[in-house]
Amino acid sequence: MRQLAGIADKLAALLKRDLLIGLHYRTGVATTVLGALAELAAFYYLARAVGPGFRPEGINYFAFLLVGTGFYTFLMLSINAFLRVVQEAQQSGTLEVLMTTATSGPTLVFLSAVSAFAGNAAQLAFYFGAGTLLLDSSFPVPRFPAGALVLLLSIGIAAAIGMLAAALQLATQRGSAVLWAFGSGAWFLTGTLFPVAGLPKPLRFVSEVIPLTHCLTGMRLALLQTGQPSLLAHEITILFAFALTLLPLGTITFSYALRRARQQGTLSFY
Amino acid sequence: MDTIIFDRVSKLFRHRRPVFDWIGQRRRAETRALDQVSFSVGAGRILALLGPNGSGKTTTLKLIATTLLPDAGRVMVEGFDTQKLANQVRKRVGLAMTSERSFFPRLSARENLEFFAALEEVPRKLRGLRIAAILERTGLAKAADTEVMKFSSGMYQKLAIARALIKQPSIVLLDEPTRSLDPGAAAQTWDLVRELPGYGASVLMATHNFEEASAVADEVILLDRGRLSGQCKLSGARPVELRELYFQVIGQKDEFAISA
Repeated sequence: MRQLAGIADKLAALLKRDLLIGLHYRTGVATTVLGALAELAAFYYLARAVGPGFRPEGINYFAFLLVGTGFYTFLMLSINAFLRVVQEAQQSGTLEVLMTTATSGPTLVFLSAVSAFAGNAAQLAFYFGAGTLLLDSSFPVPRFPAGALVLLLSIGIAAAIGMLAAALQLATQRGSAVLWAFGSGAWFLTGTLFPVAGLPKPLRFVSEVIPLTHCLTGMRLALLQTGQPSLLAHEITILFAFALTLLPLGTITFSYALRRARQQGTLSFY
Repeated sequence: MDTIIFDRVSKLFRHRRPVFDWIGQRRRAETRALDQVSFSVGAGRILALLGPNGSGKTTTLKLIATTLLPDAGRVMVEGFDTQKLANQVRKRVGLAMTSERSFFPRLSARENLEFFAALEEVPRKLRGLRIAAILERTGLAKAADTEVMKFSSGMYQKLAIARALIKQPSIVLLDEPTRSLDPGAAAQTWDLVRELPGYGASVLMATHNFEEASAVADEVILLDRGRLSGQCKLSGARPVELRELYFQVIGQKDEFAISA
């Protein structure tokens, strides 16, 4: 209980720091909102241009794009948040000092990324909300509990991949280049813009082993009620397995990278 | 009782080609920062580390603060091995480095200290008073609510000392604590450092300043090219005597003394 209160106290301090710094960059919020609106408009007109005949997985193409791109962006921003925590601390010179505090390195990176998650979740809610207003046909009521479970498991997976990205940043100081390559590949392979079924067979296999594919499929099954509930249960099982494997792997890898940086004296490098 | 024990500690830095610098020049070399260094610091003592640039002073401090790990030997802090129980060590050590780039520039001095106090697990109800007291003691009370991006080098240095002391550590590590301070502020800092043993803290201070070492330290260790070249107790030694000892041990000519 006391430990939980301590973690909550540290989280509050990190959120306060990010909020205070964020208040100095208010134009950033405005440009993010404008960017999201422009993207929604582009997808709306793209769906109209493609026409109502194109219904991937039996659903309206705009709804398919809305969930795909919105959730994909949320997950990638969240993964990137972990890398950015380390990268910004390296560049601002605070990493070495932060790593001498009584808070352990993995805890600090996890908690620091939480405030980014909160910001990304607000962005996702805005994106879905604004997109729903543009939908011109009625949809079945979303499976909210299943959607919440998919979201929770997807956050766990994003956090694990984020810890791996943060470890890479510690080890190479150039993790963002690798993450950019991963993001570009994942954007193409995970069914963000078109169904995975449209890919050639070898690429479909690659797509299956990328956790984000199952995050997007699970979220579409939950929010748009495409397919049978058994399909959703299957996706949730896969997500659970990914989260269970990747979370310890991400934490252990980050701890190893941190120890290696301490051994090699590269903690303050950037 | 010794609070810090350096037991035959060696530290080697291997310079490798960066992973993503495929077209860069090959850079493979080694720097032996510390070579079989052994010493100890008693409880409530102030020890000054003297030595030329690159002699291993900052490396020594970083090894105690666990931002570096030794390649050979052991570093023990209040009975805890820095390699095996780093978290326990970090709860006991406060480090003040000279770098200005270790604060959040858009936050005020008070906000920076509040943030670090939370990470250092200072109880919430004590934080306000403790921060106000340390800002007052380091001469930053009037600038407490100023964004640190507007600070001078000297103010950054004072804030780094304030941050190191916020958790009331039993080991205080200071890297050239008065390098950017004017004489008045330096004297205030020396007073502050001399008070620390009264609160049960041991101090290890890296410095180039003979006046500082003789004004503050109980003992001096001389490092040269990663090796321990000398160690002596200071019982009222004057800066000029320390200077003579330094050049004698390091084996360099004191150009200033010769020209004078």
